[in-house]
Amino acid sequence: MSTSTNEGKQPDVTLTINGLAVKANEGMTLVEAAWHAGVPRVTSVGCMEGVCGSCRVMLRRGKEVTVDLACQTFVENDIEVVFLPPASAPRHHYEIDDFKDGWDIHARFHDIFPEASRCRHCHGCDNACPKGITVENGVALADAGRYREAGEAFFECIMCELCDVACPELIAPAHVGLFSRRITAHFHLRPPNLIHRLEELRQERQGATLKESDEE
Amino acid sequence: MSNGIPLAEALARYRPDAELGALPELTDADTLLNAHHPDHLRGSVVKLVVGANAGENCQRELANLLQSEAFIDEADLAGTPVTDIDVLVIGGGGAGCAAALMAAEKGARVLLATKLRLGDSNTVMAEGGIQAAIEPDDSVQRHIQDTLRGGHHAGDPALVSAMAGDGPEVLRWLIRQGMQFEQTPSGDLHTRRAGGMSTARLVHCRDYTGLEMMRVLREAVIQHRSIEVWEQSPAVELLSNETGQKCVGAVLTSLLDGQLRIVRTRSVILATGGLGRLHLNGFPTSNHLGATGDGLVLAYRIGARLRELDSFQYHPTGLLHPTHLAGKLVTEGVRAAGALLVNGVGHRFIDELLPRDIVCSAILRECAEGRGIRIDDQRVGVWLDTPRLERANPGLLEKQFPNLMTRTRVSGIDPRIEPLLVHPTLHYQNGGAVIDANGATTVPGLYAVGEVAGGIHGRNRIMGNALLEIISFGRRAGIAATANRDRGPKKVTLEHVNRLRRALTLADMPLTRRAPQVLPDYAAGGVWNR
Repeated sequence: MSTSTNEGKQPDVTLTINGLAVKANEGMTLVEAAWHAGVPRVTSVGCMEGVCGSCRVMLRRGKEVTVDLACQTFVENDIEVVFLPPASAPRHHYEIDDFKDGWDIHARFHDIFPEASRCRHCHGCDNACPKGITVENGVALADAGRYREAGEAFFECIMCELCDVACPELIAPAHVGLFSRRITAHFHLRPPNLIHRLEELRQERQGATLKESDEE
Repeated sequence: MSNGIPLAEALARYRPDAELGALPELTDADTLLNAHHPDHLRGSVVKLVVGANAGENCQRELANLLQSEAFIDEADLAGTPVTDIDVLVIGGGGAGCAAALMAAEKGARVLLATKLRLGDSNTVMAEGGIQAAIEPDDSVQRHIQDTLRGGHHAGDPALVSAMAGDGPEVLRWLIRQGMQFEQTPSGDLHTRRAGGMSTARLVHCRDYTGLEMMRVLREAVIQHRSIEVWEQSPAVELLSNETGQKCVGAVLTSLLDGQLRIVRTRSVILATGGLGRLHLNGFPTSNHLGATGDGLVLAYRIGARLRELDSFQYHPTGLLHPTHLAGKLVTEGVRAAGALLVNGVGHRFIDELLPRDIVCSAILRECAEGRGIRIDDQRVGVWLDTPRLERANPGLLEKQFPNLMTRTRVSGIDPRIEPLLVHPTLHYQNGGAVIDANGATTVPGLYAVGEVAGGIHGRNRIMGNALLEIISFGRRAGIAATANRDRGPKKVTLEHVNRLRRALTLADMPLTRRAPQVLPDYAAGGVWNR
């Protein structure tokens, strides 16, 4: 079983998870340590390989406070760990089918994400990102209408939304990044090989329908 | 298993430029499968005694769950809050999101309930890509043939043809939702050829295809006016009408407060995924935490027929080391790019791009016959020779497999220098609920889409068909479920639970075990009070 790590070995690391003092084996991730010790209410765990963004934790080492993913952070002595509650519902609303004209998108972006122009360059988002994304720069690119580049900056985004939590201006950078990526595909991805196959299939269907009506 | 070559000895012997010897010829694939594939392990399969599949073969651990007691009875329903909705979708992965979006687009009010967080699923981890016949030399017909052949001709041709025919339209829909794909310099969608395909058909977004799909669909669902999402809300039972013949809703609980909630509806769409976290036959798994086979249990108890319950996919290259990533995948794309499998004595032993079930069996044979590399008494594997690949194509790993590199970097491993130790890992449920081309199960009012449904992949799935299946059938079920405009349930009951309990009693089966599992035991401490 995947979690039966170092069975029989004496746990030698002591730390705090959700306020409980626990013991763990060296080399365990914080998720494994929480399970190993039976810490209650640790349900924000998903893929355990750093792509689903669920297992968000706040870490305190002495006076330093940081955030990370529990599945890719290893136990250390005296670290204090708090599993964060799920992110709250987004404050910025749009449906992509409502966008009809690509020329309007920049104006719509500023309607939907008015805070994006108010970045104070505090680097809170950059420091919070467990994937090392240059979040602040990505937001600036989107604010300048450079959605393709902005989206590319967010390529490794796993939607953990830790940057949203970190932002004092409530910009919701993760959603700005995803907006940029979605707009780019929605308006600009027009692959000829796919379009040609769709047209062939349409003609086949039309042919079949015509044939049917001839036979009637 | 104590034989095998100790890790230190194998490492000392390993060289990325060593001569590997001739590849031994595979004379009889069936004999290899019968001797070493986990589906054929002695004691792995039993006959079901009760239910719609009574008398048929089923994997042992799954059979125990299918033939078990429910968590709730009528007394639990009294005073439980009720929500009325047009369509209930259970499961928040790719299939569930596609179904919810289509149902909402057709005018339904939709409730999407998911056990963990919206998007926590196997979809998000899919790396390879999605199949669709879009290249000039390819056709829907060839896609159908490859899929049926890959599944050892156990698949349902009607379902396979529906899925393959949807391929191009599915890509268009995903792009409209805002999903990006890799393009060639001329703007075409870039395609790759992988195991079991007769031509290049795999469309992808580097090795993050599933993540890109999931974050786009997740955002689309969250933003949709007509879709309500309940997270941390696993289903513990379905609800039936007075006769127990029709599905009319579900009972959900909450991982946060344990409160039960009744949802009454015209249609339920099960999109609960697979069961890797049951660790069948003691195998590690590539699956996410919630993959405990709940959908199969719920569907079986209300009377739905299931199929291929004795057929599971063990992905050949799960990581054996480091421990915290045990069972997690190294994508087949790495082998497609040229990485070889090497045993502890420094020899190749199988064509790396044969179907997954055969490669998996060959690795298990090497381990069983003492040519594996041994970490300790429990863990034996073989090398995936990534340094050799890097040597032949400098920079390839970093450029094409950022996900693999990021994951191993966190653990202090560099696959460009050290070969990866791999062992087969429980990956996919080939079978599932019997469905028609609309995703409808044999029980009226109940649909099943994605990994929980069966009939498409036969007895072995080929790469890239899972991501296509979830969108193709998710959309189909979303439309079909919305078309049901009856007046909704008059009465919701647990008649089907009573029916199965009677059958279990008559068959002299124990009533001590309860299901669905909801979370694996090792993760359930304190969150899920039974």
